[in-house]
Amino acid sequence: MIHVRHLTKNYADLERGKIVALGGVSFDAMPGAIYGLLGPNGAGKTTVLRILSTILKPSAGTASVNGYDVLTQASLVRHQIGYVSTNTAVYDRMTAWEMVEYFGRLYGIAQGPLRERMEQLFARLQMDEIRDVLGAKMSTGMKQKVSIARAIVHDPPVLIFDEATAGLDVLVARALLKTIAELRDHGKCVVMSTHILRDAEKLCDRIAIMHRGHILAEGTLAELCDRHEQRDLEELFFDLIHQHDRAQATAAAS
Amino acid sequence: MNWSNVKLILAREIRDQLRDRRTLFMIAVLPLVLYPLLGMSVFQVMQFMSEHAIRVLVVGAPEIGQLPPLVDKDRFAADLFSDREAIALLQVTSRSSGDAAGGAASNPLELARDEMREDGFDVVVYFPPDFAERFARFSQALANSRSGKGPVNEADLKLPGVAIYPNLAEDASTAAYRRVADVLSRWRDQIGRRNLEASGIPLAAAKPFPIKTRDVAGKGQHTAAVWAKILPFVLVIWALTGAFYPAIDLCAGEKERGTLETLLSSPAERLEIVWGKLLTIMLFSAATAMLNLTSLAITGSFVLSQIPNLGPPPALAFVWLLLALVPVSALFAALCLALAAFARSTKEGQYYLMPLVLVTMPLVILPMAPGVELNLGNSLIPITGVVLLLRAMLEGNYLVVLPYTPVVVAVTLCCCLLAIRWATDQFNTESVLFRESERWGVSLWIRHLVRDRGATPSFADAMFCGVLILLIKFFMSFGLIFSDFVTVAAVTQLVVIATPVLLMTVMLTRSPAQTLLLRRPALRASLAAVLLAVVLHPTANLLQVIVNRVYPLNEQLVQALNRLLLEQDNIWILLLVIAVMPAICEELAFRGFILSGLRHMGHKWSAIIISSIFFGAAHALFQQSIVTFVVGMILGFIAVQAGSLVPCMLFHVVHNSMGVLVHKLAPPAGDETRWLDWLVRNGSAGEQLYHWPVLVVSILASAGILYWFHRLPYARTPEESLQEAIEHQSATWLAG
Repeated sequence: MIHVRHLTKNYADLERGKIVALGGVSFDAMPGAIYGLLGPNGAGKTTVLRILSTILKPSAGTASVNGYDVLTQASLVRHQIGYVSTNTAVYDRMTAWEMVEYFGRLYGIAQGPLRERMEQLFARLQMDEIRDVLGAKMSTGMKQKVSIARAIVHDPPVLIFDEATAGLDVLVARALLKTIAELRDHGKCVVMSTHILRDAEKLCDRIAIMHRGHILAEGTLAELCDRHEQRDLEELFFDLIHQHDRAQATAAAS
Repeated sequence: MNWSNVKLILAREIRDQLRDRRTLFMIAVLPLVLYPLLGMSVFQVMQFMSEHAIRVLVVGAPEIGQLPPLVDKDRFAADLFSDREAIALLQVTSRSSGDAAGGAASNPLELARDEMREDGFDVVVYFPPDFAERFARFSQALANSRSGKGPVNEADLKLPGVAIYPNLAEDASTAAYRRVADVLSRWRDQIGRRNLEASGIPLAAAKPFPIKTRDVAGKGQHTAAVWAKILPFVLVIWALTGAFYPAIDLCAGEKERGTLETLLSSPAERLEIVWGKLLTIMLFSAATAMLNLTSLAITGSFVLSQIPNLGPPPALAFVWLLLALVPVSALFAALCLALAAFARSTKEGQYYLMPLVLVTMPLVILPMAPGVELNLGNSLIPITGVVLLLRAMLEGNYLVVLPYTPVVVAVTLCCCLLAIRWATDQFNTESVLFRESERWGVSLWIRHLVRDRGATPSFADAMFCGVLILLIKFFMSFGLIFSDFVTVAAVTQLVVIATPVLLMTVMLTRSPAQTLLLRRPALRASLAAVLLAVVLHPTANLLQVIVNRVYPLNEQLVQALNRLLLEQDNIWILLLVIAVMPAICEELAFRGFILSGLRHMGHKWSAIIISSIFFGAAHALFQQSIVTFVVGMILGFIAVQAGSLVPCMLFHVVHNSMGVLVHKLAPPAGDETRWLDWLVRNGSAGEQLYHWPVLVVSILASAGILYWFHRLPYARTPEESLQEAIEHQSATWLAG
């Protein structure tokens, strides 16, 4: 469903020169499963997801979504995905209904089926009471619901969540994670990034631990713990990060 | 591009803007309130306005009976005015020469300066100390001449001049000067009349006929002239202001809210997003301008109806304004969109857009300067050309407008397309859309340029190089104005073109050979380029003749250029500076460094067109620039297809050499030898033209050789390969 091979992303920085945001990342994510990118800030998680959403172009390597190449078939890729960014972005001067309708129309859904789909979505996500509320007047939880409705209005096979629970209160975060799990159960291929270990532990079928643009380890939670002889994800996470940093420091010194 | 997506984005943005109180205030409320308020203010202020009394110092006014009175107490004599109300406006202070400040009669200029500075006089009238005495002698000499008795000294018949000292740097003093000069002129006429009467000569002898002034302009023309000065200015200023705020909100605002990332991940293509936003900004820009123009016209009509000969603007004016508004709004919308795309926040957006206002203002104000009219040079200036064209249209000078309309339209459309292209590129540039704040310093930037340089120059390096060449050429042209032709041509090629290009190649690229296309070409490509230069020459020559007929060259300039060419007898030196040096230096610059950098855009033809614009602009004459632009396109195409600069250099040297040889070797009209008659003939304006059969062969053969180049497989840049892959995939998808 999603195949990423040797994905590299470099940035030019006035002060530091070339910055390697991604240093050859490879992984596969399958339908009906949640693939979690776990890592601290600056690990490159958002860069991977932005490349998969065709917002950024890779410097090298390939990535395909549902068989379409993110570089040469970007517009086809965008029809296959629903993307929820970290900042629960909504338009201040549009109502919830208008926003979801706007994106539904951009996805090319005809007026009749779109209306039907939106009614279902608003009922399922319990959004009926915020139907006519302007974005500027919404709480963070409301905004997150609108973002999800917008991302799934066209029923895409692939869903991408970038730090979706960041900044949400416990109740809203729990509801969101439940929604993501439901989407997985409906056969969607879900890729999500998070730095909250508990979310990854609870939800992800496969986990990639990222640090400084590299995947340090990848597999199911059980595989990872067995392979690295750690008892839980937290221990594994810190151990891998420290090992990587130590190795880099040694390499730099030599 | 999917236009239904553009329509969706446009509809959303319009709805969004209409829900924004700030935008509504700017486009609807402000224009409706501003002009009526200004009109009311003008009426209020006018009640307090009265004409400033003018203070005049008259030094040494003669008081003798032979002269008509000039000063009456503190006024000029009443019979020196046609308008009785003006008498009180001139307050006169009389002093004898000895009483004047410092008794500085020996230096009247210093006296006038001192009196104006210390006592606040607006103007000083100075009679020489011996004026009365000289006038008495003058009158006596006239009397002697009339009666034939007594001697007539010729020197007595010449009177010393009366001097008026205004300060023409001050408006008040300049206005005072005009009134005082008018008064003195009438006084002099009175003296003349007295002399004629004394001589028994009828007054009609001095003024046998009156000179009457009748204004041919009707009320409509006066009205049109007034509105023609105001409306184009208002249109441009409000079109810019109307684009300013929506652009910030639609770009920087969207970044600030985080919705841009969401939109970029939707099926809408970047181009569709740009067009949706662009049309929104354009609509609000045009609406702001039209509402302002309408409100101004209604208020202005009431105000101007109080003034004789003036009235509301002609209805047709709004048709022209509306037509001009479309490209002007499009231009400002695209520029504002591209600039606003840089900004990370609305506050930052205002900083970026302010320079656009500062650049636009001189272009709008320039047409208001006295003597600035619609001509070829001014038509080529963006915005200024539009304002001048509109002014002429509103004044009803349609015949004047006609030849310049295509130029203004072409320049404006070209600017629009470039601005739209820039805006689109901004939305395709990650470093612009996801820009993070970073420390900036000149040394950091220079270090970055050298440290992070690529194998070939970047797009920005190429554009900078093109602009740098034009700037150096402009400033060097002043230094070389008195030099001979060969020196000017050689210095231009070596210093203006080759030096900056070579320096930039060494400093900013890792592979000079790749940048300057210094590869060994296929022999066939080189031969084809030489052949193309030969067969294309009649076509290029015809194009130059057509351009010269549409935009005639200044005759003095033509003669000067011919003189420059003919005065150099050594044809080898001419070939060196006109053919060989440009073939090397200009090719290194325009098809080497600049084209290599521009090809990072991913569109080979866009790169060729922009490099050809620089190539054309680097030539001194506009008429020459048009043809060199076309030749530059061919050279750019050869460079890309052949992958080497050598065929371009060969083409260039042969093409320019043929120009020199035809000019030097073809016998002039009337020459009996006419050994080139089978090939060249003289046109109606004396120019050399190839015969029609030669031209037909030239066009067909050139097309054939260009097609041969088109068939060559060429080395694509990574950006061009990617763009081709994307276009191929899109085409396959659409076909499927």
